Amino acid sequence: MSAIADTVHEHRTHEESYEEGTKRNRLGLWLFCFSEIFLFGALLAARFYLWGNTRPALDQTLGLITTSVLLISSFFMAWSESAISSDDRKTSMRSLLITAGLGILFLVGVVGLEWGGELRPTDGVYGAIFYIMTGIHALHVLSGVILILINWNLMRKDHYSAEEHWGIEAAAVYWHYVDVVWVFFYPALYLIGQPVHL
Amino acid sequence: MENRKKADYRRNFYVFIALAVLTLVEIIIAINLANPAVPLLIIALIKAGLIAQFFMHIYRLWREEEHG
Repeated sequence: MSAIADTVHEHRTHEESYEEGTKRNRLGLWLFCFSEIFLFGALLAARFYLWGNTRPALDQTLGLITTSVLLISSFFMAWSESAISSDDRKTSMRSLLITAGLGILFLVGVVGLEWGGELRPTDGVYGAIFYIMTGIHALHVLSGVILILINWNLMRKDHYSAEEHWGIEAAAVYWHYVDVVWVFFYPALYLIGQPVHL
Repeated sequence: MENRKKADYRRNFYVFIALAVLTLVEIIIAINLANPAVPLLIIALIKAGLIAQFFMHIYRLWREEEHG
């Protein structure tokens, strides 16, 4: 990882300033986020087309807890970015670890507990849609946790400063994006429609 | 830098509280309305807008943020 960071640094100093590179990277990341709207939008469209005004009877308490956990994790991710912007490395690293921990907790809630409930992937359109939506979202959460831990390790090796911390900004944008997706998935899966007991 | 740090933390906290309150409003609407789809999707859009603006800093795409 260090070799990659050094190579990127070398390339950057010869070709362009950090600000120019960040500007370009930022546009690329947002275009990636935009492209993912089609994936998650298609899943939402499938949910409303196939479920209509119904939904499987899921554990409401668990749904609210996992949603709250992801929301709190977003707050700590924002805290981490604000901290490194002020050169408060210690707070930033601590917030990154809390964010990653909450991300893992979210995965435990969805994959470990909700998937262990009564609804199975073979339960017709209810099972299919529920598992594909939560599964693809959980994969994004998992990759976000890995990205955060990579950044934590880089910060531990003094790779970021108040002026130069694109890695943290990128991880934050990605993490918040995953949160935005759940902002739409939560009502679609847990709140909209009449509950159907399978 | 210290003032900016405090302002950032305060803003993040207010956004977090707003998101938490909107989540509670979603649950109240879901319990009380027979067909809550439209209001819930509108609230989801508001929450997404708050996150995009204040947590994801989408404005940085066309405006450079000051450092330090």
